[in-house]
Amino acid sequence: MTTTLPPVAIPGQCLGSVAMYSAGPGTHIQQSNIYASIAGPVVADPAQPKTGTKSTLRVSRVVPATIRAASAANQKQRYNTLPAVDSIVLARVTRVQKRQATVSILVVLDDASQDPSQNASDNDNVASILTSAANPENHNSTDELRFQALIRKEDVRAVEKDRVVMEDMFRVGDIVRGSVISQGDQSFYYLTTARNDLGIVMARSDAGNMMFPVSWKEMRDPVTGAGEPRKVARPY
Amino acid sequence: MTAQRQASSAAQTPHLSAAELSYLYTSLSLPNNPIRPDGRSPTQFRPLAAECDILPGTNGSARIGFADGTQAIVGVKAEVEKTTLTADTLDARSLSLQSDLGPSGDGREGTEGSSAATGGHGSWVQMSIEIPGFRDDDALPVFLAEMMRESLVGSVGGKDGDGIERGMAGGLKGRLVINKRWHWRLYIDVLLLSQPLSYPLPLLSLTTHLALLSTKLPKLKSQGEEDPFFDDDWAVAEYLYPRASAGLKFNPSQQVRPPVTLLVISVGENVIFDPNREEIAVADAVLAISVTRDTESQGLKLLTIRTIDPPSRLTQPGVPNSENVNMLGATAPGESVAVLNPATGEEEIPGVWRPRRGGVKRSVIAGMVKTVLKKGGVGEEVLAGLEGVQVG
Amino acid sequence: MLKLPLIKLEMNDRRRINGPPGGTRPAVFASHLESSSAADRARRERQPTELRKIFLKTGLIPSASGSSYLEFQPSASLAAARETPKSLIPPSSALKLACTVHGPKPLPRSAAFSPNLVLTTHVKYAPFAARKRKGHIRDASERDLGVHLETALRGAIIAERWPKSGIDLTITILEAEDDRWWADAPDSHDASWGMMNVLAGCITAASAAIADAHIDCLDLVAGGVAALVSDDSGDSSTTSPRLMLDTDPAEHRSIMSACVVAYMPARDEITELWLKGDSSKAALENGDARSAHEALIDGAVDAARGAYSVLGDALRESVLQTIQS
Repeated sequence: MTTTLPPVAIPGQCLGSVAMYSAGPGTHIQQSNIYASIAGPVVADPAQPKTGTKSTLRVSRVVPATIRAASAANQKQRYNTLPAVDSIVLARVTRVQKRQATVSILVVLDDASQDPSQNASDNDNVASILTSAANPENHNSTDELRFQALIRKEDVRAVEKDRVVMEDMFRVGDIVRGSVISQGDQSFYYLTTARNDLGIVMARSDAGNMMFPVSWKEMRDPVTGAGEPRKVARPY
Repeated sequence: MTAQRQASSAAQTPHLSAAELSYLYTSLSLPNNPIRPDGRSPTQFRPLAAECDILPGTNGSARIGFADGTQAIVGVKAEVEKTTLTADTLDARSLSLQSDLGPSGDGREGTEGSSAATGGHGSWVQMSIEIPGFRDDDALPVFLAEMMRESLVGSVGGKDGDGIERGMAGGLKGRLVINKRWHWRLYIDVLLLSQPLSYPLPLLSLTTHLALLSTKLPKLKSQGEEDPFFDDDWAVAEYLYPRASAGLKFNPSQQVRPPVTLLVISVGENVIFDPNREEIAVADAVLAISVTRDTESQGLKLLTIRTIDPPSRLTQPGVPNSENVNMLGATAPGESVAVLNPATGEEEIPGVWRPRRGGVKRSVIAGMVKTVLKKGGVGEEVLAGLEGVQVG
Repeated sequence: MLKLPLIKLEMNDRRRINGPPGGTRPAVFASHLESSSAADRARRERQPTELRKIFLKTGLIPSASGSSYLEFQPSASLAAARETPKSLIPPSSALKLACTVHGPKPLPRSAAFSPNLVLTTHVKYAPFAARKRKGHIRDASERDLGVHLETALRGAIIAERWPKSGIDLTITILEAEDDRWWADAPDSHDASWGMMNVLAGCITAASAAIADAHIDCLDLVAGGVAALVSDDSGDSSTTSPRLMLDTDPAEHRSIMSACVVAYMPARDEITELWLKGDSSKAALENGDARSAHEALIDGAVDAARGAYSVLGDALRESVLQTIQS
């Protein structure tokens, strides 16, 4: 087995033996060898000295500028750009009911960089997606192409779960940061916002102005000065 | 969408759990001696009831019912149609032939002369399959119809080199030529009477075979290039596929026969015929192999092979105990150790189902084809069995 | 109540303005046909194992998550006929097709839960792709091709990595291969041989587009065709058919049987096999113990290996391009 890694790999290319590396995203194992499963640059994440594990081979989906930022993270590895359990997503509220809110997932944030502006997965223009999604005219145009998710009443916040009133937490059109708790059934993922950093990140008031957060449960319209209740995410 | 998904892989996957799939796979892949859920031997077919010539309004018909209740009816109808020669099917050769022969040309020459005249066209055989629950333009009926039509029109009879008139030069297509300007058009309509409980290919193919065997065309009274007219006595009508008669000494193995399409699966190292729904669900590879009698070598002749998407690729994986949260602490260390499956090259934990992925090795395909074609093999057995059905 | 005139409904597309129902082909006169006889027919100038060159490029359609374009090198006779046209009718055609992948995207609401990626394939001939015009509605052969293609690809995709999602793969064939030389009458071995070349091209292009969309695959799949052809004029009993790779049906008098495979070189596995025709009379070289169909399959695999080298290079090139830009 060669010890030098090729700079780029194409699917089906043998990268090394499982004796030397462990397989990361973008690879698969066949006959005790690691093969690439997507085309892209090959990255060997160095072994963690403490645990004494083997270094992890993966094939990156993104261009090298962001590889360094991504490989710095030692969090759970994701295999693709789909929402998975524990991934943080940005979603737009499409329907609020008594027991649950329906949202449509706009962006799956990379674990490495939870700041949307640095996130460089296949959704390079997160900012433009968000602004267009927060615009009332653009609703329902592309919902068919987005994954749908539910936030159940008991998953909205960690305390006083039984006193949650959904209409005071979310309104249609709000942008929510949530964490995926389950892959769910045939149609919906399940999200939770029961953390300080999760909840509404962007919202418009009844008057149609962009609001700013004032507390964990209130946002305010800068023009009219009126406050509206929301489950607000802690701003950075 | 759902219909499409069913259609694309080999019929609907039964809702079997990962544990059931794993159990089935293990018992079917036992080396040399697979245990099938219904106790059949690997090459044994399901029992079936067959009858021919059941519909008086057709040129030939047949019905086959499997013991599980699935039934199919096939009706064959023939119509006379004018042959249109378009610019791109004409060549100078056929033009000159046409002028040479003229009206005095003997009908025989039409079938023995140039290849253009024996030709016939594949589109003269039309096949449609109706399966309950499927639209007629869904992928499954279209795929099945193309598969069976292709082997029908593709089977070419032996050359009349030894002077024996077998009447099937040019295969089925050639048989449909009446003269240069007229031909038969064959409509084969297949009706599946019940929901397909398993991949319906073997049932449909066997029924079509029987229907074609029983198909008769009225005797031609006109000669040569005249406009055709026929004897109205149905008793003297000729079989589409000529049958043994007292006058001619036919070796049954020398007769041209319609092809049959067999469904063959491989599980582990075993090759299994006529799989039922549960067996297909765990197959590593599914092949549809069409064979017919070879009139020259008296053996079997391969006509088509098609791979069929095994539904095992779409199944849900099982969770090994070591990864199951509910079993934490309950598993002995070393209980779930991945072993290399020699047939697929994948590492698997015994008893834990994993959806199949990847393709088939060439050696596996060769082995499957060999079991069909070998002398005294399954193919011959099936053709002999169908011969036994009383026709006419 | 309003009375509507009775309109005869026909099996054609009512959402478009259709052309005249009958054929509108110009008349071709016999004298013309005679002049364009054997001398003009396309002949294979390649070695039996020599493949046509393939042009393949990925990422040409920006709105799709993955795309590719594939073209076969035109045969020598076609190139010559374009230089000095003798007849209005081109002697052969060369495959050109475009492939797009959309997704992964959520399954439609009506679909059941799927733990795996659901692949949907559409193969469509452009109306002008073949010598005979194709309608806008997919016909049986196009649906058949779609099923073949789906089987070929599904074996290569690692579907469990993309739960609850689906991809749509669409192939538009801009120029298809002929089933035989245009002036030949169909003989007894006639079948839609051109479709097999089209399928091989579809497989290679689709594999490139899926890799371009970054869908996890076990390996690239390449399509290859091999055929048993008999080229002698007149009676075919004198010489028996020979095995050729990557056959252009227009270049041969008669194709006895042909085989197309979808092949994964790194695993040495076949995900799709389609063999048809009578291979019983083939003459293999002395000492070759393989039966004819095995030789055909091996030949098709060799052709697929050739296509794979193009496929791999095209993908590497596109990866390097994105890294450097």
